[in-house]
Amino acid sequence: MIKFEDVTKIYPPSTVGLERVTLHIEKGEFVFLVGPSGSGKSTFIRLLIREIEPDRGRISVGGRDLDTLHSWKIPHLRRNIGCVFQDFKLLSNKTAFENVMYALVVTGNATNSSKKKAVEILSLVGLGHKADSYPHELSGGEQQRVSIARAFVNHPPLLVADEPTGNLDPDTSMGIMQLLYRINKTGTTVLMATHDREMVDRMRRRVVQLEAGRVVRDQKRGGYGED
Amino acid sequence: MIRNGAAMGKISFFFKEAFGSLRRNYFMTIAALVTVFLSIVVLGGVLVFVFITDALLAEVEEKVEITVFLKTDPDPTADEVSAMQAQINTWPEVKNVTYVTKEQALEQMKEDYADSPEIFESLTGNPLPASFEISLVDPQTVDIVAARFEGDSIVDEVRYGKEVADKLFAFTDQARNFMLIFIVLLGIVSILLISNTIRLSIFARKREVEIMKLVGATNWFIRWPFLIEGITVGFVGALLAAAAVLAANHYLLGRVSDNLAFLSVPVDAVPYILVTIVLLGVGVVIGAIGSAIGLRRFLRV
Ligand SMILES: Nc1ncnc2c1ncn2[C@@H]1O[C@H](COP(=O)(O)OP(=O)(O)OP(=O)(O)O)[C@@H](O)[C@H]1O
Ligand SMILES: [Mg+2]
Repeated sequence: MIKFEDVTKIYPPSTVGLERVTLHIEKGEFVFLVGPSGSGKSTFIRLLIREIEPDRGRISVGGRDLDTLHSWKIPHLRRNIGCVFQDFKLLSNKTAFENVMYALVVTGNATNSSKKKAVEILSLVGLGHKADSYPHELSGGEQQRVSIARAFVNHPPLLVADEPTGNLDPDTSMGIMQLLYRINKTGTTVLMATHDREMVDRMRRRVVQLEAGRVVRDQKRGGYGED
Repeated sequence: MIRNGAAMGKISFFFKEAFGSLRRNYFMTIAALVTVFLSIVVLGGVLVFVFITDALLAEVEEKVEITVFLKTDPDPTADEVSAMQAQINTWPEVKNVTYVTKEQALEQMKEDYADSPEIFESLTGNPLPASFEISLVDPQTVDIVAARFEGDSIVDEVRYGKEVADKLFAFTDQARNFMLIFIVLLGIVSILLISNTIRLSIFARKREVEIMKLVGATNWFIRWPFLIEGITVGFVGALLAAAAVLAANHYLLGRVSDNLAFLSVPVDAVPYILVTIVLLGVGVVIGAIGSAIGLRRFLRV
């Protein structure tokens, strides 16, 4: 599903984002990306959705080589990657329902059944009753659930979450975690960058640890720290 | 069928987005609307002015006639006169020739001075000359045609208000060039103002545009609502401007022809429908170009 081959990203003038990272993630996996602040987790994700380009190395996602991907095809790439951001990135002048609809309409095949789909997914994340609320009327955890609903409404083969529980309380975090877990159960590959030690330890999933832009650990059923 | 439905859904989505954003950013909308309105009012004013001066000039040009006075001592013979008339009629520049006999000239004069018949009491015989009155197809050829009578044995004098005609033509040519430049400048200024307004409104939504791109929106998907926004502002601004210009024209023209009878502007001097269409077209184009320029820089993510 995801292949990083010897990828290096240097932010000008000379800040190391990622350094010689080689990493393969298979279809259907659930992978935690951990590491201290500034270790390159967000850089990894931004490379994945072609928000930025690597200085060296090759990246392919779902069989597409990002190196040779025409810029007009980037939207298609992104529609196949559901993205959840730490700061939610919801459209502030749209309701929860409209935010989810947006992801459906951009694909160009929104139909009458799309509305039903959006309502259903909002119910799935437990926000059926807040569909008409604007982001500023929602709590952080609720906003994050809207953004997960938006990321998943197209049933993308890959879901990427950059610290989705970053500023949520432990219970809410656990709820979000469970949501991602259920999404993974439907066959969607899930990659999640996080600082949440307790959660990583509890889930016992594959853990990739970054430090100063390098992969320092890759463990099949790991915890947050070294065992 | 399904594809079609999806396309329809997309178009109505774009319109909803555009109008929603116009409503949300109502302050910007009003600012842009006023800009378009003012530019197009000026443009429309110039346009109406051009039409009216054109109509007036056409009237004046109609009146540029050549009058050829024939000698009186002795008067030319009937043969000489008809030969000359035939000759004039062969010239392609000439629209119409009328021969005014000495008697007709006297009648005309008596009519003109009907209030003071004492002038004619002392008159013995008829001292007035016969004349040809020549109207032209193209008034600009007045010099050429007049010159042909120079040195003719039966011609006494040729009159055609040379200075007036020359000055008038020089003025209309200049006025037209000046207005053309003015209109072009005005168009550029309004495009810049609109593109700036749209740019500000996009700038205010830079974050939104970024999010849209991250969710997989194509550039055109993001562009359309903004374009519709710009075109709507252009169209509505132009519509209001056209209404204002035509209403003002109607009112002022009524006032002018009430007070200045000699300045008879034909009622249909300004083709209302044409002016409206032109102004609306300009408004739409200005709106589209303005938003296209405003958008250009923001979609290179
Ligand atoms: N746009 C940028 N320009 C310059 N340097 C950057 C930029 N973005 C990130 N960096 C630098 O790249 C390095 C990796 O940053 P990155 O955001 O990937 O870390 P992270 O692991 O996501 O950290 P955090 O856990 O705090 O989110 C850091 O040293 C950071 O300062
Ligand atoms: Mg980060």
